[in-house]
Amino acid sequence: MKDLLRLRTSLSEEIETLLNEQIKVEAHSSSVYLAMSSWCNRHGFDYSAGYFQKQSGEEREHMLKLFNFVNDLGGRAISPEVTNIPQDFESFRSVFEQALQQEIYVTQQFNRIADRCMKARDYVTFQFLQWFLKEQVEEEYVARRALELFDVIGEEGTGRYEIDKHVPKIKYDNE
Amino acid sequence: MLNSLCQPVEIFKTEHGAVYQCNGRNCFWVEFAGGKTSFKVEDFLLLKQKVEAIDVQSMANSTTRATDIAIVMPLRSERCFVLTLTDVLNFRELLQGAKAMLDLNSLIYECLHAMAV
Repeated sequence: MKDLLRLRTSLSEEIETLLNEQIKVEAHSSSVYLAMSSWCNRHGFDYSAGYFQKQSGEEREHMLKLFNFVNDLGGRAISPEVTNIPQDFESFRSVFEQALQQEIYVTQQFNRIADRCMKARDYVTFQFLQWFLKEQVEEEYVARRALELFDVIGEEGTGRYEIDKHVPKIKYDNE
Repeated sequence: MLNSLCQPVEIFKTEHGAVYQCNGRNCFWVEFAGGKTSFKVEDFLLLKQKVEAIDVQSMANSTTRATDIAIVMPLRSERCFVLTLTDVLNFRELLQGAKAMLDLNSLIYECLHAMAV
């Protein structure tokens, strides 16, 4: 008997669902970063606004990378519904705290998917995920360094102005 | 009525219905509630997801008449399923059983193919 499931797609139902969930996570992250950009803009943190807008674009690119992968393998990529985006934040510092927490969550999700791929012996997807896992090292590094600026520079006086100016300069060179 | 070009292979059967695979047209025939309907692979999987997504707990708990039935209208099909709570459970059993058999077929196919190479 023909294997119609395999003829349609090489993704198992479980892995396809996990990847679609991750597409949604990336879309959500992109929207949250955009909201952060708007908040920074409203409060006069121009450099950080630009930084978060750039981050938002990157998250969308990640989403599309996953989206295209699912479709390329014969799966059914789902355009995600994005809701519950916070539009207001407690403080300048809390924006960066939340950004770091978001990146940590994304890393955990990718680890979880990679783990499931190993168990399902889906090495094609496992290999595909390596790029994202590597990317998350950089994402977490940058988000953590940005938050550390609040302690290194301090928020008193012109501190926030200095922090804002330094945020876009953070680079991860250990490639 | 099953197309004469189709040589349907029984995938899974319960006392309430059956699912067949047509190797000629690469589709599935779902026999349930007095009708037979063909579905492409993707549409069959979508049908299964839709039936699984029905909130049977709400149907059971609610006393309003509107929640006595669930309507499933698959796209690209003229069939419309009007399901009572027991129909949903029976339909779910049929579709999930069929999917499990299809997964098993994939495993067997992979093993046999690996042996043949």
